[in-house]
Amino acid sequence: MKKPLHPLTLWICAILLAIGVVALDNAFIALAIVGAVALLVYIRRDGSPWQRSFALSIRIGLTILAIRTVVGILIGVPIPGTNLFTLPILDLPSWMPGIRIGGAVTLERLSSSLHEGVIIATMIALFGAATSLTSPHKLLRVTPSFIYEIGITLVIATSVFPQLATSARRIRTAQKLRGFEKLELRSIAIPLLEESLSRSLQLASAMDARGYGISRKRSRYRPIPWLMRDNLTLLFTSVLAVAMVTR
Amino acid sequence: MITFSNVSLIYPQSTKTILEDLSFQIEEGEMVLVMGETGSGKSSLLRLINGLVPHHTGGILAGDISVDGISTRTVKPGSLAHLVGIVGQNPINGFVTDIVEEELAFSMEALNFAPDVMRKRVEEVLDLLSLSALRNRSIATLSGGEQQRLAIGAALVMHPKVLVLDEPTSALDPIAAEEVLSVLHRLVHDLSVTVIIAEHRLERVIQFVDRIIFIEGNGDTSIGTADEILKNSDLVPPIVKLARALNLSEIGTSVREVRRQTEDVRSKEYVRPSNTPTHTSTAIEISKVSHSYSGKTALNGVSASINHGEIVAIMGRNGAGKSTLLHSIVGLHSPQAGEIRVDGVDPTTLKGAERRKSIGYVPQEPSDLLFASTVSEECALADRSNDLTPGSTASLLNRLVPDISTHAHPNDLSEGQRLALVLSIVLSGNPEVLVLDEPTRGLDYRAKNLFAIALREYATQFNRPVLLATHDVELVAELADRVLFLAEGEIVADGTTLDVLLSSPAFAPQVAKVMSPKPWLTVSDVVHAIEGQS
Repeated sequence: MKKPLHPLTLWICAILLAIGVVALDNAFIALAIVGAVALLVYIRRDGSPWQRSFALSIRIGLTILAIRTVVGILIGVPIPGTNLFTLPILDLPSWMPGIRIGGAVTLERLSSSLHEGVIIATMIALFGAATSLTSPHKLLRVTPSFIYEIGITLVIATSVFPQLATSARRIRTAQKLRGFEKLELRSIAIPLLEESLSRSLQLASAMDARGYGISRKRSRYRPIPWLMRDNLTLLFTSVLAVAMVTR
Repeated sequence: MITFSNVSLIYPQSTKTILEDLSFQIEEGEMVLVMGETGSGKSSLLRLINGLVPHHTGGILAGDISVDGISTRTVKPGSLAHLVGIVGQNPINGFVTDIVEEELAFSMEALNFAPDVMRKRVEEVLDLLSLSALRNRSIATLSGGEQQRLAIGAALVMHPKVLVLDEPTSALDPIAAEEVLSVLHRLVHDLSVTVIIAEHRLERVIQFVDRIIFIEGNGDTSIGTADEILKNSDLVPPIVKLARALNLSEIGTSVREVRRQTEDVRSKEYVRPSNTPTHTSTAIEISKVSHSYSGKTALNGVSASINHGEIVAIMGRNGAGKSTLLHSIVGLHSPQAGEIRVDGVDPTTLKGAERRKSIGYVPQEPSDLLFASTVSEECALADRSNDLTPGSTASLLNRLVPDISTHAHPNDLSEGQRLALVLSIVLSGNPEVLVLDEPTRGLDYRAKNLFAIALREYATQFNRPVLLATHDVELVAELADRVLFLAEGEIVADGTTLDVLLSSPAFAPQVAKVMSPKPWLTVSDVVHAIEGQS
């Protein structure tokens, strides 16, 4: 398999595409882009933990789409057009004029709600794809050194966070096996809090002992190079985005 | 290389002095063991060496510690990174990056080493610790032994003169532990690295160390060669117990030494003791169980039956499927193929009080079960949930560890006390079956002994089965009636403890190694045989 693109390339592409999608405002092209991105993520899969974030972002996108559609149908200003079906109208007090709950659902109203939902979901999917294609640690390594202090906080957060989910599941299991069926917040939160605190302290002391923060400057063991490929990818995406915006 | 002069250490809000007026010197290329009961201050002593105590933890330090002429008082721990490498108890918690190579380079990056120096040193360490094949692997996918070697490597890239390790083998199976220890041995002998190591399982390390620092827990500390210290200590490995029981003139620390002295014992003929009574009624029935996680087979057609009153140890290397098997037995998940019956019931269907009465389960992290703020509150909760008269659990606990403070926070207890607390909570449900996952990690010999007695009592008194997964060969030799040996998700050996342990050199206990080919596993086996003969 070819070497992956530079992490920054991927993130800039995601941002450019997102701008393009919003400017163009076309649900079909947005869906096509999601399809292409999904294919890319599928080809590039390597079983790493952050890889799952794409599937997660799709799920979040679909949830938003569903909510947006339901809300769009129920509430809002009527759009005239082909009548699909009629919902009972809810009586609202007179001091809430202009808002209507229920009523006639037209094809136009349904499609405009769906359309907006798809655009939002596409943006989330684009950023989900960028996250899933680059390790968060790798991204930190290419961030400029003057925000490195923030970076190191993120290292602790990103390494403790996935642990948190695993630990929570383990503790929950242990308690279920003790015969405590009801999920009590205190019984999970306290062991979890104790564990993550001591973990963070251990990580901090390990970093301390290994000389972190002693030298102001920091060298790079294996710098991630910026290649011609990155230039070409960026150029192509920029052209695409410009085309989408100017149309 | 390391000089402690008149060092005393006390933590604020603690009545106990950890160390008092401790003075010693450690030379270059020495390997020193720090031993003592759990909670006696071994980790504190280790972390004093690079100044993590008190710079990182607080505490009042008197006296002076210097490493290679630099006083830890004047510099931060990080400034000693090129001099002292430290490997914590749980290496996974100390990893900063997610790829093996990057982890090795982390310290050097932080200290702004030139890229070509970094490349060279990373290669060196990869070769030295045979990690080359793993260089691009994600750290999360490494086995316990590999992680431990990586943690040692990450410290070694700085070319430290001193390497400090806190219980480096406690989570490892015997074979992985041997790998790690032989690496340390090589560092001491080939590169003259000074190694300071804390460890409970003396049987694993005792043959490698030059001197022992014994922290006695009341502030007293003694330093000397293994022979001097072990002569008068309670915390001794089985090999020393054997030497005492046989009244040998010298205390040997290696199997070879003691073998030479016991030739006459082995040369005699002994009556084989009559077999222990066999347990016949089945309590747990496992038939053709298979299970896999995301395409990886964890269990493959495992069948076994465990009888009432039997203590069965499940052994095998890290990742052999021990935990998965235990999880299936306690009903955490239903196996993808085959079935399990505990007293005729499918364990996945058990709930609430019914579960507490059927299966008692002590998880790998005993503290997962604890959430009250004091020991007595925790006991009261157990009484309430099992409809016992108030105080029942507390009295059970008191029998296991008489000196426990009931007002202490469970988190402040020593490992042994915490395990005892969890064990009494689980036993308060009066379960028909007891299942334990790696119960003796971090326990000293005394705590382990108490624990073994409690389990033995439970099994014989109520005629109920005990099932435990463990790496602790000596515990298995003392305690278990039967051993199931797992490899790659399959049972490769199922037989009496004697047969299984004697047939595998890596998993044989110390006494068996000394007394081979005689079929003895423990000191009491030897004593019984000799008494029976005379």
